[in-house]
Amino acid sequence: MNPKRLLALTRAGIMESLYFRLGIFVTLFANLIYLVLVYYLWKAIYASSGTDVVNGMTFTDTMIYLILATAIFNFLEMFVVWDMSRSIQSGKIVLDLLKPMRYRKYTFWSYTGNHVVQFFLTFVPTFIVVMIVTHGAIKFGLNIIWFLVATVFALIINYNIEMLVAPICLFTESTWGINIVKETIVLLLSGATIPLAFFPEKIRMIVQYLPFRAVYDIPLSILLGKSGSDTWDGLLKLFGLQIVWLIVLTVAGNIFWNCAVKKITVNGG
Amino acid sequence: MEEAVVMKNVCKDFKVLNRHEGLKGSIKDLFSRDYKTVSAVKDVTMTVNRGEIIGYLGPNGAGKSTTIKIMTGVLEPTSGEILVNGKVPYKNRTENCENIGVVFGQRSQLWWSLPLIESFKLLKDLYMVPEKEYDDMIALYRSLVDIEPILHKPVRQMSLGQRTLSDILAAFLHNPAIVFLDEPTIGLDVSMKSKIRELILGLNKEKNTTVILTTHDMGDVDALCKRIVIIDKGMKIYDNDIDHLKNYFGSYRTLKLKLADDTWEEMLIDEKTTDVMDVIMEKQKEKKIKDVKILEISTEEVIRKIYEGGTK
Repeated sequence: MNPKRLLALTRAGIMESLYFRLGIFVTLFANLIYLVLVYYLWKAIYASSGTDVVNGMTFTDTMIYLILATAIFNFLEMFVVWDMSRSIQSGKIVLDLLKPMRYRKYTFWSYTGNHVVQFFLTFVPTFIVVMIVTHGAIKFGLNIIWFLVATVFALIINYNIEMLVAPICLFTESTWGINIVKETIVLLLSGATIPLAFFPEKIRMIVQYLPFRAVYDIPLSILLGKSGSDTWDGLLKLFGLQIVWLIVLTVAGNIFWNCAVKKITVNGG
Repeated sequence: MEEAVVMKNVCKDFKVLNRHEGLKGSIKDLFSRDYKTVSAVKDVTMTVNRGEIIGYLGPNGAGKSTTIKIMTGVLEPTSGEILVNGKVPYKNRTENCENIGVVFGQRSQLWWSLPLIESFKLLKDLYMVPEKEYDDMIALYRSLVDIEPILHKPVRQMSLGQRTLSDILAAFLHNPAIVFLDEPTIGLDVSMKSKIRELILGLNKEKNTTVILTTHDMGDVDALCKRIVIIDKGMKIYDNDIDHLKNYFGSYRTLKLKLADDTWEEMLIDEKTTDVMDVIMEKQKEKKIKDVKILEISTEEVIRKIYEGGTK
């Protein structure tokens, strides 16, 4: 384990992301359109419900939640599935396997640079705008630090979910459908499109313990002081859930990847 | 340790699904368990010594790339023993990678949107090359080729020749014991080809790097390799010095005759069985001969004959 290697990969990732500067602005613009849509959709939902508070959340609560969820989604988004299927089909994967680092580690650290860039260029500005518009509806204290820790866990969990899906393309030779299914499941069950509070009671009970929640809902809840994260007890529970999934998925991802590599090395991919 | 690569009876089989024809066949294939085994490499035994440049030749689909993938550790051989730098490559892939460099002529391992120098810096950290060695290497590069114009150019803006050159430099950067070059001169112009040959030769001389080169350009072979190994249909059919190659099918000479109508007639003559003078005399009876040339057979011709005729 040499931190210099990892930092070098992150640094190159940052430079590569910044090279596509137009892409960053396009992402920001696309977000804006998406958020306008979300705004009017939820405005209609609240108007038709007849009350100000739905499932314990006011309209402002919901908007803050969804805007920040979109911002987190943008900087946690990974394209492991696309990239891996492309490099397997083109045979480029050989070059990645010939790096003097374990493949999983190598790819993870190749993505971190992009996350850093997206964090500062999409999440931070969005967060500041939300802070200003809502006049301090978000507490600004220790929760910021816990949020950052939870985000790092979320990042690793998300990577491992991707790594569990990506090698499937070795067996199916196509990933498009699988990737769409994965994306939909993650977006729905993680609370990135609909706050988990809006789920029917029974489904919420199950979803609460699934790993997808650990990616978007938990960091967000910690940031907003929800789901009992304002008490030590609640905070520990949320982190505990994240850590359990992190370990389970890392181990599972490792095993699955080793099988996949075996297929490449034995049958040439 | 004198040997860079030792291979003993290495075989590699692939399992391929037997595909059926037509729509009905495609549906049948969904559930088919009907596999056939394709042998890509059959019983190859060879040794590559340290500091050698060997040409690894064979027609398309002969199993060259498969062998290279076995040597780099990306593929596991079905049977046989292999040692690269004294280690089994597929068991210690990451470790093995620290001591080898690879260039695939068709692909680039460089960071597409970054200037070349950034790729170099990144590779330096990835392979944990000490600062001083890195500086020495860059200095050596400067002395061998003019790298100034490409050093600060993003790889995506480079011409194919510049990119190949950069890829070769990148493969040598961590001073590996062995460098695999898979068709490095494919698609390059004449002057770039000779530049790249000079570079490979220079690096091999300075660093005593073992180079395993596959190519279809006999110019590369003539310029670089002292020894060549030829495989066809997965089997090794030739392994010797390049000088021996010319006598592989006997002592051949190309005889060129300029006839009365100013056309050149070419023929390949085996000096062991036919006498060149006899042929000329025979021809002279039919037509008037204006000029005569006797040429040594080119590497290209021998190789072509080997590819076409298989084994002796």
